[in-house]
Amino acid sequence: MKRKVLSIIVISAVIITIALSTIPLWGSPEFIQFSINALILATLAQSWNIIGGYTGYPSFGNSLFYGLGGYGVAIGMLQFNFPFALGLIFGVALAVLVAFLLGLPVLRLRGQYFAIATLALAQVMSAFVSNLDIAGGNIGLVLPLSLSDTLFFELSLGLLALTTLTVAWIANSRFGFGLIAIRENEQAAMVLGVNTTLYKVLAFALCGIFTAIAGGIHAYYITYLDPSSAFDSTLNIKMIIMTVFGGSGSILGPILGAFVLSGVAEILAIEITSLASLFFGLVIVLAIIFMPRGIVDFIRRFPELGWRYFQENIRIYRL
Amino acid sequence: MKFHNIVLALTSLLMATPACLADIQLGASVQMTGSLANTGRYYADAYQFAVDKINAAGGVKVGDTREKLVLKLLDNQSDVNLSVRQYVQLITEDKANFLLGPFASDYALADSAIAEKYKVPMIQGGGASDQIFSRGYQYIFGTLARATDYYQSTIDALLKLTPTPKTVALLYADDSFDVSVADGTRKILAKTPLKLVVDQKFSSNSSDFSSLLSLIKSQNIDVILVAGHETEVINLIRQAKSLNVDPKLYSFTVGVPSADFRKALGNDADYACGMTAWLPSKDLKDEYFVNAQQFADEYKKRFGYDPDYHAASGVADVEAFVKAIQAANSLDPQKVRNAIAKLDFNSLYGRIRFNASGQIELPQTMIQVQKGKLVPIYGPKGFIEKPVYPMPAWSKR
Amino acid sequence: MQLLWQILVNGILLGGFYALMSLGLVLVWGVLKIVNLSHGSLIMLGAYISYYLFSYFNVDPFAGLPISMLTLFCLGFLIQRYLINFVINAPMFNTLLITFGLDVTITYLAQLLFGADYRTINPDYTGANFILFGATVPLVRLYAFGVSISLTVILWLFLSFTKIGRAIRATSQNLVAARLYGVDPRLIYALTFAIGAAMAGAAGSLNGVISQINPYIGILFTAKSFVIAIIGGLENTLFVIAGGLILGVVEVLTALYIGPTYTNLISFGILVLVLIIRPTGLLGRTA
Repeated sequence: MKRKVLSIIVISAVIITIALSTIPLWGSPEFIQFSINALILATLAQSWNIIGGYTGYPSFGNSLFYGLGGYGVAIGMLQFNFPFALGLIFGVALAVLVAFLLGLPVLRLRGQYFAIATLALAQVMSAFVSNLDIAGGNIGLVLPLSLSDTLFFELSLGLLALTTLTVAWIANSRFGFGLIAIRENEQAAMVLGVNTTLYKVLAFALCGIFTAIAGGIHAYYITYLDPSSAFDSTLNIKMIIMTVFGGSGSILGPILGAFVLSGVAEILAIEITSLASLFFGLVIVLAIIFMPRGIVDFIRRFPELGWRYFQENIRIYRL
Repeated sequence: MKFHNIVLALTSLLMATPACLADIQLGASVQMTGSLANTGRYYADAYQFAVDKINAAGGVKVGDTREKLVLKLLDNQSDVNLSVRQYVQLITEDKANFLLGPFASDYALADSAIAEKYKVPMIQGGGASDQIFSRGYQYIFGTLARATDYYQSTIDALLKLTPTPKTVALLYADDSFDVSVADGTRKILAKTPLKLVVDQKFSSNSSDFSSLLSLIKSQNIDVILVAGHETEVINLIRQAKSLNVDPKLYSFTVGVPSADFRKALGNDADYACGMTAWLPSKDLKDEYFVNAQQFADEYKKRFGYDPDYHAASGVADVEAFVKAIQAANSLDPQKVRNAIAKLDFNSLYGRIRFNASGQIELPQTMIQVQKGKLVPIYGPKGFIEKPVYPMPAWSKR
Repeated sequence: MQLLWQILVNGILLGGFYALMSLGLVLVWGVLKIVNLSHGSLIMLGAYISYYLFSYFNVDPFAGLPISMLTLFCLGFLIQRYLINFVINAPMFNTLLITFGLDVTITYLAQLLFGADYRTINPDYTGANFILFGATVPLVRLYAFGVSISLTVILWLFLSFTKIGRAIRATSQNLVAARLYGVDPRLIYALTFAIGAAMAGAAGSLNGVISQINPYIGILFTAKSFVIAIIGGLENTLFVIAGGLILGVVEVLTALYIGPTYTNLISFGILVLVLIIRPTGLLGRTA
């Protein structure tokens, strides 16, 4: 992509972000609430995009970093009396450390084995923390009450913008091309001189950083943290589905997917309540069958193919 | 849908003061689906039942008018994070005047932070852990007795039984409520001649207790005290049966008072002990339901299952709001909050009075299942009925 | 010493059941390369079928095994043929996601249909047990152990020595070649998934007798099945026995000697270690 196009994207992103940051002034508190959650989910999806979408290593355990970020903030603020910002940095440091220590052995695995390994790692970390007294064991920790929703909104918005800009940068950098090469054909990438181990671990660590910050913000926002909400394993699936639904390996896909699916879930939760989860499950199944490449692909190809778009998808992927 | 709400909000802005609104909005986010729905439904049904009964009796007297109660009930699908968001929605979009709580301590912990943040009083009857009330919050009240005192009456009773038990095993799940119970129980036991031989924490949602049970059996422990969730207790009892673990007595913090728990276990539930702060007795008189027994009968008729202390606690929450609103003679959250703190009345649930931290003080009555029926054994005034002690061995039943 | 022996007995009996529990997952994963996240909910359905057969028709859960297996077989066949087959050739984690969606759908359908109450299956002999060298052996667990091992062995024999079994294995190894031999892959895939579902159904029926049933037990089964699948490896369905036994014994020993809150940590920790050191499983060939 040319420099000019890239700078247009960056500038428009900044403008949109500034525009969106005024939402707390005119939006209803419930909308702000919803937005904060959607923004955090979008960040999770976008950071997953780095390791799963661009590098092709589908991590099923990003909740690991999310929890580390959350506990970093909680332990930092409660046990060491850090201010919130320092707690966030503490959480990020933990996440990066873990990304390197555990990432190195685990990134040697391919495809489904990597997925299972990350899933298991998230469970291990959750079980480990629930036995740690400094983290409050399985009872968890109660954080000081913060009254400003606006603060959390701006933080989440800023974080999403930062993550997206990073992804945009990756998509156009040598680093990014290296990641894509790893995704398409790792052996060939190695032969061509790409330091696959370094790249993979860096991608994993990047992903970990943003996920951890999201986790830290969420912990402070909810004011109460225990292993099951910090290392929420349903988040793993959510962030993957949102990215895939929106368009894995694209810049805007994860954001689209996160907001659309969050909106659908919220409407379902309000309108139908007890059938909400059921419908959500059905939505996922149908989306994977009819739109496996996501909304971004849909937007690109539906105009020319019309309804045959769905038929095409099935035809390509069916047995 | 959102447009509709904007119109409503605008029209209500145009009206004079909140007291002009015809109804009193009560908001609640309860587990109606998901893994906690089995107990969550007691609250959903109880809240609705209470609201209907109070409205039928003429509603709530505020100033010169009688207002109707309107209940907005949301299903949090047993997801704590959704529950928190729903309470924000209830306050900001649905304009709830007051909040009724969810089931379970961890939900109450997270949701009460919202009540505190927006300064809207919440009365919850589903969380008993100490953590909820030790944060100095002003807007949260609870009608479940303190977790740390759950085993007080049981242990008092144990000391008076013959043959005197000597050894105790304490098993507890690792969540907020059960750890609180365990901490309190340990302190109570320390003051008695009973020896705590096995003291083990297990993970919530465990399904296999064979190791713990085998350990207990090998040490011939007299009494087993368990703090856990219904699923764990059911598994424990069944596995105790299959491994021939025969303590003289065993007691559980949950399950025993609930009819469907006893139904799930059938005869195996016999002789299990538990505790409840509530029994459907005629002596608990109530302004709206006449007495606890009548309440239980009507509840069973309307909903198809027997209520237990969860449901009674839920009803008490609604009644507490009504009494507080009438005492404050206003819907102003601050005034009502202060009125709640000063409440002291009798209801089908017992005496409603909150201590300085916002928690009710109710003694637990030890109960035992005997031939499928729930029998109260030991209350604050001593023995009520005789317990079957020691429990007959599994092989002899 | 006595206690240790009892614990080992507990672990072995548990392990046998674990083998059956994970059998369906291993079969489908090893043969079809499909990671079925809805595996646990299929087990849950099997449990409910046995529960209703027992409660309303007094069918003994062990005698009713063929019925729950058959029902799950048909359901599994339909799921594979008319749902999962549509995404087979997509990137692998599309099947992961679709099976996840399926898991959510099945779980909440079950909640709607059956309610959230806990159920148990309580035939007369539930508490019966006998003493073996000083350890109490619960009869029901022994029966479950026996059934689990038998089904696993029968499946292995089926896959190794029957024509259909060999067709299944051929399809998994080389789709094109199988087609050349006149095998319809859609049928084979559907059949394999159906067999896996039937095994899950059997596990569910057994579980209903030893534990309790509610719509949400599925996820725990799926998680444990993964651990066993990795420990035993996907090469050979017979190895789930080893995987199951190892996990069962490790869990009970951990509960006794380290602490009951550490079982998950140890189980998943072993999973990660095995994956890193020997991804094809402790017993599999090195990649």
